[in-house]
Amino acid sequence: MRNKVQIIYKGPWAYWVGAVVLAILNMIVLIVREMPWGITTNIEAWSVWLGSNMGLLHDEGITFKQLMLSDGTYLNMGVILGAFWGTLAASQARFRHMKNRKFVISALIGGLLMGYGARIASGCNIGLVLNGIASSSLSGWLFTIAVFIGVWLGSKILLRFLL
Amino acid sequence: MEKKALTSQWKLNLGFSFFILMLIVLLLQVSIQLTLLFAVSLALGFTLQKSRFCFTSAFRDPLLVGYTTLTEALILLLAISIPGFAIVSNVAGILHLPLSLYVTPFGIHTFVGGILFGIGMVMAGGCASGILMRIGEGFAMQMIAFAGLMIGAILGKYSLPYWRANFGEAPGIFLPDIIGWLPAVVLQLLILFFLWKVTRWWKRKLNGVG
Repeated sequence: MRNKVQIIYKGPWAYWVGAVVLAILNMIVLIVREMPWGITTNIEAWSVWLGSNMGLLHDEGITFKQLMLSDGTYLNMGVILGAFWGTLAASQARFRHMKNRKFVISALIGGLLMGYGARIASGCNIGLVLNGIASSSLSGWLFTIAVFIGVWLGSKILLRFLL
Repeated sequence: MEKKALTSQWKLNLGFSFFILMLIVLLLQVSIQLTLLFAVSLALGFTLQKSRFCFTSAFRDPLLVGYTTLTEALILLLAISIPGFAIVSNVAGILHLPLSLYVTPFGIHTFVGGILFGIGMVMAGGCASGILMRIGEGFAMQMIAFAGLMIGAILGKYSLPYWRANFGEAPGIFLPDIIGWLPAVVLQLLILFFLWKVTRWWKRKLNGVG
């Protein structure tokens, strides 16, 4: 019995349990927000704000106050803090260094491609794969097929240059 | 995993819990909706971390190592979400509550974006939600990926008009508009069932008898 309670805060949970809980929470977001959960629209807004404050970008009129009142900010911050809380509850919180220098480049290029791809397609795995399909939208299915092809290509790159 | 010589972090946990509580109290002064969303997303982050749920692995692992359990979990997540969203949307319609689903226009850029996104998430070791989750777990690699994500998002934002102008864009297609709610839900569940069968077949094929 004690073990079962421990699993709740120490993990790991079975994948299917994660899927069911995520499905329920995702629906609560839909109800409370009156629109589905998304991640990259808000990241784009913060990036543009940061860029224009550094004088690199044309000012789009995004203010700090707007960002702090935007629900996307709290959704993203919550995921980071919630995951941190998860590691803390299991007494596993620590900084995790990179094992290999070439992963710095890989992470940077990967992040770039992802940010670019998500913003021209208007969504990421959450916004388009999960919530596009959940919204019965054709775009969600199309994006998912493309992501699968991309992952296949990415795996080839991974095997050839990184592992 | 990392069981050995771990000191309990309960003091840190207590402090952090207090910090979160303060944030929530503060946020309550601003908006109940924001507070609720913050609380739900804390739970989302916690769940992603505890279940090691990762969209990147769900797509990648069948190809890379022939491991399909997470892929099947993703199919389950979608299979719950499609009827779930359909019910929420219809109930909201009956009660005349404002609710919009995520039906976006598409074009060549949806497809190109998806391919770039797929390559990127394998290279960065996580998609957008995965990156946020791993930043919370303390991974340096995903913190760097996040910087890339921000730069990429800016580049994407400013090049989207060119994609639209040069290749055009079709208005979003909402399946229930075309074939009705029930057939749309059933059709998509059948597609998921088919994908699940393919996943099982793929697993058996790679792992021998299963």
